[in-house]
Amino acid sequence: MSIAWLRERMEQFADHPAIVWNDHPYPYRDLLARMQAWHAALDQHDVGPGHVVTIEGDYSPNAVSLLLTLIEHNTIVVPLTRSVAAQRDEFLAIAEVQVVVSFDDNDQWRIERRAVAVTNPLTRQLIERGHPGLVLFSSGSTGKSKAALHDFIPLLEKFQVPRHRRVTLTFLLLDHIGGINTLFYTLANGGTVVAVQSRDPDVVCRAIETHRVQTLPTSPTFLNLLLISEAYRRYDLSSLELITYGTEVMPESTLHRIHDLFPNVQLLQTYGLSELGILRSKSRDSNSLWVKVGGEGFETKIVDGVLWVRAKSAMLGYLNAPSPFDEEGWMNTQDVVEVDGEYIRILGRRSEIINVGGQKVYPAEVESVLLQMPNVKDVAVVGESNPITGQIVTARFNLFEPEDPNEFKRRVRAFCRDRLAPYKIPVKIIITENEQHSARFKKMRKA
Amino acid sequence: MTSLPVSRTNLANLVITSLRDVLEQSGRPLPATIDESTLLFGKGALLDSLALVTMVVDLEQRLEEEYGLALTLADDRAMSQRNSPFRSVGALVDYLEQLITEEHGRD
Repeated sequence: MSIAWLRERMEQFADHPAIVWNDHPYPYRDLLARMQAWHAALDQHDVGPGHVVTIEGDYSPNAVSLLLTLIEHNTIVVPLTRSVAAQRDEFLAIAEVQVVVSFDDNDQWRIERRAVAVTNPLTRQLIERGHPGLVLFSSGSTGKSKAALHDFIPLLEKFQVPRHRRVTLTFLLLDHIGGINTLFYTLANGGTVVAVQSRDPDVVCRAIETHRVQTLPTSPTFLNLLLISEAYRRYDLSSLELITYGTEVMPESTLHRIHDLFPNVQLLQTYGLSELGILRSKSRDSNSLWVKVGGEGFETKIVDGVLWVRAKSAMLGYLNAPSPFDEEGWMNTQDVVEVDGEYIRILGRRSEIINVGGQKVYPAEVESVLLQMPNVKDVAVVGESNPITGQIVTARFNLFEPEDPNEFKRRVRAFCRDRLAPYKIPVKIIITENEQHSARFKKMRKA
Repeated sequence: MTSLPVSRTNLANLVITSLRDVLEQSGRPLPATIDESTLLFGKGALLDSLALVTMVVDLEQRLEEEYGLALTLADDRAMSQRNSPFRSVGALVDYLEQLITEEHGRD
């Protein structure tokens, strides 16, 4: 049993709710019983060590207990969700999936076998090691999705250190490193995972009120939606103690507004990558974007203003791309940072930096200013090439109320004049009806 | 030759409107008169590269919104003209007429 320690913990917490799914609590005892049944079902279906198995589902009791059982069975788990339906066949092919277990809305499951042999050398290496594995696909918001293969054992090691027991809402899904992190942190500490059927702010706020959620791990994009929906006015969110945010750069204005609204809630920036796992982090304070990252098993260094990380829990490699690690195991995160002593401030992805006549513009900084304008619901700032200045700053806006485009342009420039250096002020201003975030609530900055 | 979908006067007005907007919005002084002889970019002209690119993009958007013309004003071709189309209001209007004629001729 590769995760005997986790099973022991779960047995201690027997009657405590482990997950809340469809508003119904399921205690640890129930998950353990389902795991027993899964072991029998997997044996019956001849699913054993080294098989590559996809879970198509959410945080339902059957799906979660299957995930745990597959780890105990030393299989390679490939969690997929509906949000990647369009790429399902491609992902199954890349991961060389042999068994698919899919769950419906009532947590009923069916199993499908695929006649596939594992040929990928990385996967074979893990199988020889006799360890369970995890394949996570990057969202592909920039370019092609990459499949990160992890050895599950080092990935879970850090959860052996006892930490806080909390009721936590799951915002990210099982196919995301953040979702996996939330699930195992919670289970390892006898906490409760509250699953929601949608990421709509009202649905999330209702779940916080109903289940007295203490921790909300989320993204800046969601927090902005929470602000503009004003859903927080309609529910009692007094149980909240901690909001964590990550996966993208937080606009400073959004952070300050959240802090003003929830002065007693700790706001913590998280940092992680599907290739490395989630680092431990500590924000300087709730109102600050300065953060210390690292912790046991992680080393960091800054090279030319870019953050590099070396992690014990790093993936073995990509199944469909060259290794991103250098000879010493360091990975260039491509995140450009400012440094102040032990603290860093993440400015943006290197690929998203806009170069206007040789001067650098970080989309998040411009977005942070634009989000403060009246009638602006959301905005995405991107670079567009232009022969006069190399690139120009383009801002795509979602508005609450329609506005004359030329009037709006004047308003934007007037608003920016005292707040941004001239080269940071958007040259092209577009008003759109389209939503500007992905299914994982991350801002899309495709040009 | 068929007549252009936009008259020269309208084009000149469009350029002048965009120029006024960019000057006002960037807090630059407006000259007493703006006409085809007004210098845009270059020695002794009104705009720096940032203001020029803002004006050009604005003009592209106005041409599309008001006349349904999808033109790229700033590209390698514009940048490699012997006489820059961005040197004066009149030169830019000439260049616009040239681009529209080509677009129009293809229909």
